[in-house]
Amino acid sequence: MRSIQRRLSLGLVSVMVIVGLVLAQTSLWLFEMGLQRYLEAGLRNDSESLLVALVRGPQGLQLDERHLSPAYQRPFSGHYFRIDFAESHWRSRSLWDQDLPLLDHPGLHSNLQLGPDGQQLLVLRSDYRRLGQSISISVAQDYTPVRESFQRMRQIGVGLGLAGLLLILLLQRITVRRALRPLEKAREQIAQLQQGQRSQLDEQVPAELEPLVAQINHLLAHTEDSLKRSRNALGNLGHALKTPLAVLLSLASSERLDSHPELRRILKDQLEQVQQRLNRELNRARLSGDALPGALFDCDAELPGLLATLNMIHGEHLALSHVAPPGLQLPWDREDLLELLGNLLDNACKWADAEVRLSVTETAQGFALSVEDDGPGIPEEQRTQVFSRGARLDEQTDGHGLGLGIVRDIVATWGGVLVLGESEWGGLKVEIQLPRR
Amino acid sequence: MRLLLVEDHVPLADELMAGLQRQGYAVDWLADGRDAVYQGSSEPYDLIVLDLGLPGVPGLEVLAQWRAAGLATPVLILTARDSWAERIEGLKAGADDYLTKPFHPEELHLRIQSLLRRSKGQANQPTLKAAGLHLDEGRQCVVRDGADIQLTAAEFRLLRYFMLHPEQILSKSHLAEHLYDGETERDSNVLEVHVNHLRRKLGRSVIETRRGQGYRFGGQAS
Repeated sequence: MRSIQRRLSLGLVSVMVIVGLVLAQTSLWLFEMGLQRYLEAGLRNDSESLLVALVRGPQGLQLDERHLSPAYQRPFSGHYFRIDFAESHWRSRSLWDQDLPLLDHPGLHSNLQLGPDGQQLLVLRSDYRRLGQSISISVAQDYTPVRESFQRMRQIGVGLGLAGLLLILLLQRITVRRALRPLEKAREQIAQLQQGQRSQLDEQVPAELEPLVAQINHLLAHTEDSLKRSRNALGNLGHALKTPLAVLLSLASSERLDSHPELRRILKDQLEQVQQRLNRELNRARLSGDALPGALFDCDAELPGLLATLNMIHGEHLALSHVAPPGLQLPWDREDLLELLGNLLDNACKWADAEVRLSVTETAQGFALSVEDDGPGIPEEQRTQVFSRGARLDEQTDGHGLGLGIVRDIVATWGGVLVLGESEWGGLKVEIQLPRR
Repeated sequence: MRLLLVEDHVPLADELMAGLQRQGYAVDWLADGRDAVYQGSSEPYDLIVLDLGLPGVPGLEVLAQWRAAGLATPVLILTARDSWAERIEGLKAGADDYLTKPFHPEELHLRIQSLLRRSKGQANQPTLKAAGLHLDEGRQCVVRDGADIQLTAAEFRLLRYFMLHPEQILSKSHLAEHLYDGETERDSNVLEVHVNHLRRKLGRSVIETRRGQGYRFGGQAS
């Protein structure tokens, strides 16, 4: 999509150029016409003076020199005449050796003739009858200065027009930029939303943008709300299913089944499968994924609570530590990230002897999380099995063995990479690379 | 050991009650959050097992009210809501442990044992040790110098309480409050009988009588 600014400029320039050219050309033409009318009146006056100067002399018709304007005597003065009789014609002295051709028909002719000295002439031919003879008088006037001044006017006009156009473009650019500033602000805010720096767009916008911003905010609130509701519904569903499951598990271990060990084994196995499946699917369904652009995880605020919870669950003998740059915020949903880190750390705590460390770092591509423990670790050839369906490397440790499965699901949703390695203490090191959103 | 179980799902509560009683705990059961707020802080429980999805007042709110009122009793949260965000919330409200449903009854028993030991300042170890005795809570017997000594259920309960409170003077009424649930009639003569049985099995000096004050466990076990 092209920018609004460019489209507006282009439209404005083309309209201005077309209108400007048409207007300038028309007004020049009208002005020239008016001037010619005025000059024509002068020429007609001249031709009538010539007619009056024609008098009957001793050898027939002759021109009364006293009535002639001196301009007709001076060569190339810019004023010329030609008088045509039936069989001869007279020329003004000013024409010198040039010939003023006879026009085809009476009337005003502009710039048709290239006169002496390259002058452009305005010629008026009028036909009369005088003293019993048909006379055709053509008077011409040099039109070049007028044309030259017209040319100059046109040049100045073009220059002024171009300057005006530039000025208007500049003003238009400024105006458009000012008018579009709220749009630009909204764009920046949406970018911030994507980076998780804000959760709502600013409502203080011009009336034109109000519905858009309100709709986006409404959508955000709606998404957040429905996520909350669906999480709550999942929690309720989990509660509704897990409580009876707890009863059944308890029944399966009760002494009433002591005499049926086979029955107890089958019951326990099946219940365990139901439980695993239920936990996994509920955990997956609870993930928000990318639904909320404004989500944010504040490491400083959340990590100590998470580590304290893990310490409570696994006992105070474990030293849990975290390394994160102060003030680091991760652009993902808090619950998802807690689930990811909680499961990773929980797994590490189950295996660790004394130490578990979580490191969060910001890299050029995104963020790197790593969880290390000082437990036995996993031999390289078994590492791929950890994530295969239903694999339970932690069978002997309590827990459901789903921790790493859900971790993998979350990392996959975020487009990240998970690598198992060896920590500096010899235990397992889980490294996760998450791309920036 | 007297526990309070707050759980609104009746079949689960029945199962848990039966299991806990087999483990030698005196258990009171409540199903409503409002009752729990009151009874939890008025009766001298040693541990509370609290479900979060409660009618009346939600479990977390119950816990927060207890902690606000200064109740220090360890609380184990029992919930189907197992997300880490909710676990952290539970901890912030003042829980001491967190067990998600469904669970194996043995796991609940182990968690309760370790939580009780932790709250009495005992190290986290598989058996309860005091005054040269090892109490095996799984088999409900006591081990001294490698030899098992069988105990009746009532003796086991009494000895466990003594071993969790070594060298403290415990009055008969205190013992009765912590060994019997709210519905059992408390007869101090029965306590005396059990104390005498323990002395016969473990030696006279193991439980000392302080006249007018009560009993004191943890003298010389000979």
